[in-house]
Formats: sequence, C-alpha cells, structure tokens
Amino acid sequence: MIAAWNPAQPEITDLILQHHPQTLERLPVRKDDVLRVFSGYGNLQACRAIAGLPDKDGVLEERAIDQLLVATHWEMQRLAEEFYHGHRVWDLLRRLVATIRKSGFRETLRVVDVGCGIGYTSRWLAASVPLAEYGIDVVGMDLNSALVREANRLAALEKLNCHFFHGDAFSPEHSGHIFLSTGVIHHFRGKALGDFFRRHERPEIFAFLHYDFQPSVIAPLGSWFFHYLRMRTAVAKHDGVLSAARAHNARTLVEAARSSLPEFASGIYGAKIWKTPAPRVFHTLVGLRRPLLPEFRQQLGARLGRLGEMR
Amino acid sequence: MSLLLLYVLALLDGLLCGARVAMGRSAVIRKRAYYVHAQIKGLVGAQIVSTIALCALFLVSIESAHRLALRADLEAAAGRMLWVFLPYAALVLGNIVLRLVPSTDIRSATSVMMLGPLTAIRPLVMIAGVLYGISKSALWETRALGLFILALMLSLELALNFLAARQQARELNALL
Repeated sequence: MIAAWNPAQPEITDLILQHHPQTLERLPVRKDDVLRVFSGYGNLQACRAIAGLPDKDGVLEERAIDQLLVATHWEMQRLAEEFYHGHRVWDLLRRLVATIRKSGFRETLRVVDVGCGIGYTSRWLAASVPLAEYGIDVVGMDLNSALVREANRLAALEKLNCHFFHGDAFSPEHSGHIFLSTGVIHHFRGKALGDFFRRHERPEIFAFLHYDFQPSVIAPLGSWFFHYLRMRTAVAKHDGVLSAARAHNARTLVEAARSSLPEFASGIYGAKIWKTPAPRVFHTLVGLRRPLLPEFRQQLGARLGRLGEMR
Repeated sequence: MSLLLLYVLALLDGLLCGARVAMGRSAVIRKRAYYVHAQIKGLVGAQIVSTIALCALFLVSIESAHRLALRADLEAAAGRMLWVFLPYAALVLGNIVLRLVPSTDIRSATSVMMLGPLTAIRPLVMIAGVLYGISKSALWETRALGLFILALMLSLELALNFLAARQQARELNALL
C-alpha cells in the first residue's frame, strides 16, 4: 500500500491543530511530534508537507497554520462547488424539512452544520434558498476559531442570513433540530464514531444528514488525480486523498448509527449514480426519528430509489 | 484565416486560464463578478502574449529574404496546428455547454471526468499542436516563431497563477 494512503493514520490537519477538549483553547503543537507520527507510517509525503510548515522553537506557528487552513478550505470549497454540493444538500434537506412540517412542527427549524469549516454549505443555503419562508435557521459550528471567523466574515460580506460559532455543536446552547455535516464523520474512528452518533440522542433532534466520501477500490486513485489537479497546498493534496482512503463504508456507518441511536431509522442515501452500479463520490448517512420515516419516503417521491434500507 | 483562428483560440485559452487560476482562491458564494474579473485578466494576458507574438512575426517577416514564402509557410503551419487545437477546444467547450443540463450528476461528471483531465493535458496539447504544425515547415523562421509562441502560451498560465497566488497571500495576510 502507498504509505500516504494508509487509512490507519490521521490526517495532517488532525494533528497540526489541537484544542483543549473542554475549554477549546488552542494548544501549542510541536512539529517534531507531528513528524514522528507520520514517520511511524513511513509517510514521506506527509513528512515533506509538515517539514515545510513554519515553526518557532519547534512549535508550529499558529498564524501560519491558520492561514494554511483557511487557504485549504477555500480550495476545498472549490471542490464542493464542482460537485454541486449545496444543491445536493438542499435537494435532501428540503424533503426532510417538509417531512417535519407535515408532522405538525411549526417552530423555526434550526439546522446545525457540524464541523462547518468556513461554512460553505450553510452559506450556500443562505444565499440560494429563502430560508425565512421555510422557517429555517442555519448555523455552523466548528472547533477551529480561525475558520469560524472566516465563515462569519464571508457571510457578512455577502449579507447572508447564517451564523457561525466556535464550540460544541451538540451543547445545549447550540443544539438544533437537524444536524448535517460534510466530510466530517470519517474523522471519528472506532468507538468515537458511535460516541459521535450517540450525541444526536437529544429530544429536540429530528434528523441528521452526514455527507462523506464513499469508499471504493478506485476512490483513492480518483481522489489523488482530482486533488493533484485541483489543490495547490501540499497539506490539502495529502489530506484530500487520505480522506478518501479513510472514509467509512456504508455498513460501518449504518451499523454505528443504528446501534448508537435506536430511536432513529438510519440508512444510506445516494450511493449509486442513477440506476447504474457506478458509485457516487459522496454518499449520505440519513437518520430520522422513526415516526417520520413513512412521510419522508413520500417526500422523496422519484428520489425514493436512492434511499437504501432504513431501519 | 488560420492565423486569425489561432488568435481567437489563444484568447479563449487566456479566458479559461484566468478562470482556472482564480478557482479555489475566493470563498464567496456569489462569484460571477469575481470570475468575470479573473477572465478579463486572462483575456488581457492572452492579448499581451498575442501582441508580442505579432510583433515577433512582424520583425521576422521584415528581416526575411523570402517574405511571401514565409507567409505561406506560416499559414500552412497554423492550419496544421488547428487540426490539434480545434478538436481540443471543441471538447472543452462541449463540456462547458453540457454543464447547462440541470443535473448535478452530469455537471459534476463534466468536471471530474472531462474538464479536469482536459486541463491536465493542456500543456501537452499545446506542445503537440505546435510541433505538428511546424514539423513540415520549410523555413527555420516558421519553426522558431512556433516555438517562441509556444513558450509564450505556456508561460501565460504560470504568470497568471503567480499573480493570483501573490494576491491570495496578501489577502490571507490581511485576514489573519
């Protein structure tokens, strides 16, 4: 196996930015510590990318790391735009919203974009959908304060009606009715994946939509080619491909969701392109309160064929 | 006619180069103005390159002892280049037109399966087109001009990319 594609290792961006788990305060990161992790996997590509990062007395420079992460997220947004991710999210979200409305819920629906980064999905929704007419309030949450600041700056620049917060998306003060994420759930490995799903078990949460890479034999190769062409920073080129290699398969996702969240019906949406065996680049883990499932199927209409087994 | 067509293709290439180097460097949602501005930059870049090429062509033509033969040789070389460049341009434009189809899957597929790889082979197509064009040229002036223009066109994207990267670095420094 190519060392940089080994799914057992973390991504560079998982390590160059560290926060205190409770206070979310930024912690200093020693370059050697990060290098040691990837040396252990024989991952020379990662080591080269990390070696190029500026440091002071062996500690990675926070400002340079923030600039790198913002630049990387600008590039990642370009990929999301090429995949028409905003359209894809709204196509499913609006059916979910209609389902919840049919159940009699009349209050404003709060949609929380977990691990929103610079908030592309939320900002796209705010720019493209009359959210007020649907009674939807969109907020993005991330643990990286620099990305949250950038998300808020971009939203203000275009006068978009969405807000971003630095903090825990599942905390009582930030929680919402629908949770969504993009490219986030593969960061939770093993027990942490189940723990992540268990955090959805709050009385106010109706549903979740988690978008992530769909693993396949050709996914890392395709991802490598795509990132080689599109991404400019060494870290983004590395992590983009590793994300595809680390992505959870449908079985892992649905088993973790079903065992962690028995009150929710969970399944995969949009795994194949039309009715062909060709896999989509992204698939979606959909979960919703069991009583909502029959109406959700109705709302999907012609799209129902894209929904896998829900239980 | 062939030279004029090559000029139009060079402008189109500049336009697309301008858009390409701007991609991934702005995170606003409504990007029309941003891309129009980037494409104008690319177009201006291609126009500068074309003007330099025209000046070189003029100088060589003035200095040449066989001006009429050179003109015919250049036209023939340009005609051969079009056999490579026109199908490539048609493929690129065809895929851009396909993106008008209101299907997220088709639009994404044009990016991933076609426009990405077509971008990757752009330098190779340029080299192949020029080499094929000048391969049967009788005059050294035609071959030299062909290679000179090839170098100019290849450096266009590098120059635009350099400028865009510098601007992006300035923006990031101002932000953080």
